[in-house]
Amino acid sequence: MKKLKNFFYHLFIPNEKNNYKAKSLQTDFLFIYLFIAILLNFTFKKINLVNVLGFATDITINKLYQLTNLEREKRGLPDLSYSEKLSQAAYQKAQDMFTKNYWAHYAPDGKTPWDFILSSGYTYEYAGENLAKNFLFSDGVVSAWMNSPTHRDNILKKEYTDVGFAIVNGVLNGEETTLVVQMFGKPLYKNIAKEEKPPEIIKTKNEVNTPNLNSEKTYVNNQKPAVLSKNTKNIFSDISKFIFSINFVFLSFLLVALFFDFYFAEKFNLLRIEGKNLAHFIFIFFVLLSLLIISKGAII
Amino acid sequence: MKHLVFALKKELKNNFLDYLILITFGVFFLILTNLFKGERFMEFILLLTFVGFYILWGTYHHLTKNSFRLKIVVEYILIGFLVLFLLKIILII
Repeated sequence: MKKLKNFFYHLFIPNEKNNYKAKSLQTDFLFIYLFIAILLNFTFKKINLVNVLGFATDITINKLYQLTNLEREKRGLPDLSYSEKLSQAAYQKAQDMFTKNYWAHYAPDGKTPWDFILSSGYTYEYAGENLAKNFLFSDGVVSAWMNSPTHRDNILKKEYTDVGFAIVNGVLNGEETTLVVQMFGKPLYKNIAKEEKPPEIIKTKNEVNTPNLNSEKTYVNNQKPAVLSKNTKNIFSDISKFIFSINFVFLSFLLVALFFDFYFAEKFNLLRIEGKNLAHFIFIFFVLLSLLIISKGAII
Repeated sequence: MKHLVFALKKELKNNFLDYLILITFGVFFLILTNLFKGERFMEFILLLTFVGFYILWGTYHHLTKNSFRLKIVVEYILIGFLVLFLLKIILII
């Protein structure tokens, strides 16, 4: 216990043994941190995480489906049924955006979201579309949609009965992008677009979360997405959370170390030749805030 | 805690303009990051600019205060690059 106490004392509090500067902020330690950060960059590139995840995202169709229905349930609205046809339309729309290099509801050639829905064989009475890109987490996507009046209206529209999703990685405007397309609908005739059960989606290497278009085998009996989301959890979504956590925890650690060092240096009236702790603190604080912004992508 | 507040006040008062510039740039950095939310390349460029500015700011600040040392510049560079590489993992380019 005493050893642990001494260790933290040495790490955070300036004293004679650490040359009156918290060990965790000394140049040699900063070099070690930088080396680890470079190593992490290299490792993630080496294991080709980029190709697996696009941008290390933790977004899954099951989670989006679950969160969308949760928002409806909160307001006493009936759950939306998962529609494979709408998911197919969403996937085609995402592919179209990558192929024609645009980020909009309407394609440059005039193609509308409704064209994709109709071409998937879903004849609708009502239809809608929400788009998102470069989010890190599923809940971030749904919460951004819920904070936008128009997207929120789509999620909570009582006329809709069905929903479909596509999460596709590709290159848009020259950069790796993760697109999320959510399509809503109410079939014109109930017998045309009958209710479908959510498919089980298991991400594998170099595979994206696209609707499974042809296999009845992928259907599962579990109606509740909560059960499905458990099945779809994989190592890569854990890695993406891990990356985000590393950044968040490490930047917070630096802020704490800077604060302690500044506090005790002032308390003990220490005079040192070094960079300004307050400046470092302000800089890292702004970067930490930007990290929170970066975790949220864009919606239209 | 009193002496900490006093020290902070003193530090801010003695270097008011410098900190004002740093905070203003930080606020602009956040506004622009929010504006280009979802544009990974732009987010990376903004981060790179902020890191570059911070290193220059640190160098200028210590030059004007006659406390310039190579060790200090290295410290600013290390912190700047550390942040850059950490966030680059998320903004994989």
